[in-house]
Amino acid sequence: MSREKLEALGVKLPLFPTTSVGSFPKPDYLVKARSEFAKGKISEEEIRKLERKATAFWIEQQEKLGVDVLVDGEMYRGDMIAYFAERLPGFTQGGLVRSYGNRYYHKPIITGEVQWPGPVTVEWWTYSQGLTKKPVKGMLTGAYTIMDWSFNEFYPGRRATALGLAAVIRSEVEALIAVGCKIIQIDEPALSVRPEELPIAIEAMEATTNGLDAYFITHACYGAFDQIYPGMLDLAVDNFDLEMSNSDLGLLELFRCHPFTKDISFGVVDVHTHNLEEAAEVQGRIEQVLTLLPRERVWVDPDCGLKTRTVDEAIAKMKLCVAAAKQARRKK
Amino acid sequence: MSPVSPGLYLASAGSYPRIGDTPELQLLRRTIAALDRGERTTADLLDAENEVTRWAIADQVKAGLDIVTDGLIRWNDPISHIAGKLDNVRIGGLLRYLDTNFYFRQPILAAKPIRRGMIVLNDYNFARNALGHLPTLPEKAGKLSVKPVLTGPYTLAKFSLAAASGNGEPGPFAALEARTQAYAEALAPEIASLAKAGAEIIQLDEPAAIKYPDDWPIFVASLAPLVAARDAAAKDSTRAVELALYTYFHDATPLYEKLVQLPVDIFGLDFTYNKQLADLAAAVGSPKPLALGMIDARNTALADPDVIAWQLERILPKIAGGRAYLGPSAGLEYLPRDRAFAKLEHLAKVRALVQSGSRVRP
Repeated sequence: MSREKLEALGVKLPLFPTTSVGSFPKPDYLVKARSEFAKGKISEEEIRKLERKATAFWIEQQEKLGVDVLVDGEMYRGDMIAYFAERLPGFTQGGLVRSYGNRYYHKPIITGEVQWPGPVTVEWWTYSQGLTKKPVKGMLTGAYTIMDWSFNEFYPGRRATALGLAAVIRSEVEALIAVGCKIIQIDEPALSVRPEELPIAIEAMEATTNGLDAYFITHACYGAFDQIYPGMLDLAVDNFDLEMSNSDLGLLELFRCHPFTKDISFGVVDVHTHNLEEAAEVQGRIEQVLTLLPRERVWVDPDCGLKTRTVDEAIAKMKLCVAAAKQARRKK
Repeated sequence: MSPVSPGLYLASAGSYPRIGDTPELQLLRRTIAALDRGERTTADLLDAENEVTRWAIADQVKAGLDIVTDGLIRWNDPISHIAGKLDNVRIGGLLRYLDTNFYFRQPILAAKPIRRGMIVLNDYNFARNALGHLPTLPEKAGKLSVKPVLTGPYTLAKFSLAAASGNGEPGPFAALEARTQAYAEALAPEIASLAKAGAEIIQLDEPAAIKYPDDWPIFVASLAPLVAARDAAAKDSTRAVELALYTYFHDATPLYEKLVQLPVDIFGLDFTYNKQLADLAAAVGSPKPLALGMIDARNTALADPDVIAWQLERILPKIAGGRAYLGPSAGLEYLPRDRAFAKLEHLAKVRALVQSGSRVRP
């Protein structure tokens, strides 16, 4: 199983490894600095210095909390698509479109062949890993999601776009592996938006990870999983990081009908509420998944990225995850 | 209303971007943010919504459309904007809207949804007035119209939840069929009010109907109260009142022949999702007018106008009723504003090609 794969990679983890999905809230000084940088009031050097400071803060917090597999917190990212689109030749920044309510984002446009310009995330991973002895995940967005959340004016269709992007993301995966990254998360939150296109998402992930020596996680959330399960298990990854708590563990019903065959990073706290769950409630969620999966295959983390919470709320949610995992380890 | 181009009208499919990239075009966003901070009032918000609605209508007129909408500028999303105006409905958390990267707030029915006040009637009246104040070309004077839009009862119900009853048992609206019918009964008086106010075509959006074909009987049953409201309104009026059923965000091809038999008057279809839909429509035709969503509202690229004109030339002779409506495949708010306007201009370009017979390819 994948635990053996991790050990073969030299990564030793306790039972119920704890991690987080990727993003943490940006401290106030960084939010302000990003706004000033966008207006040209501070230099790139100044903003990078503050992003490094905030990254170090989150690495330190995760260490203090006892998290097992760390993330850099994505202090340098606006969102998971634009960050890559702004750095990959072939993309043009699009105008604003609405995501919901009064929130808008710049949806990128693919106007030429997307190319890998050289390492995009490696410098941040190297910096973060240099701050801790614990493993830090490499964090990428998957080809299918980048395709679905961009406009396309170049490729002849959605499959061609996804596969073109997969080749680019694969180059970034190879670059992360080359500098020593062992655990790489490739987020695919768009996985379920068009169930009929699951074969494209599977083909793109295969093209991204096939034959590469790392432990791969993919994150998906808030989707119509009932329409893509169990087919989604064919995705070429070792671990599915899934939002479970916001949907009242509804996915477990699917697992009962068809066995879940991968490792799981099990979302035990809801990131879309200010409320902090009770410890017993979180432990109860872990007990629920253990009725269906062996303990060796269960990781513990929040439902999704914590960037929409306050710094204090994010720390409190992570603390709950770690405490629940420790409690689970104590139980025989 | 008589068409500017006999038989082929240009019609909006609903929404239009409510933001642009210049500071002026961010009026609504800034006003809402300021309202949240307590620095503006709801009257300021109404002013901003009115102004941005005027801009949306002006863009449609400038591009040459015959039938415009208010751009749905006031809508937070297609679900909660309608359901939230009904009594006994609470608005809950965020969910993704079909296959878009756009989210809506999910309604929760505590009891039967009841229409106590207007849903989109005020918006329609404002849009008519705004259109009337816009300068128009002499040949179009008095020939443009506003089309109100409602999300249909099945789509509302599909994306709603029912609150449990007091003892924790499922409530009376736990069943999709009950929710759908309840929404249909709540929307029917709005159809009557819109018709009375002068609406000749009322657009009913039912994107979920083609996404979940297993619910087809529930969807079809929900049309009855709306059709009855239309018929009653038509009887009381000297003008025609028509229901235009719009579907998008999924492939309508498998359901096409069943769709065009439904008891509504116009069928709005997304022809960009599956190219075979155009072949099917050209082969079997339609017993009623079609709204042909042939301009892709989900991607910034502009399709070859010759290809669209060719499709139109194949389909138009097969449409009964002597008219069709060319438009985007869905509302345009999923595009940046400059691209949305380019799509509207593209509609006029395609129609000109058809009218002039100057298509050179394919």
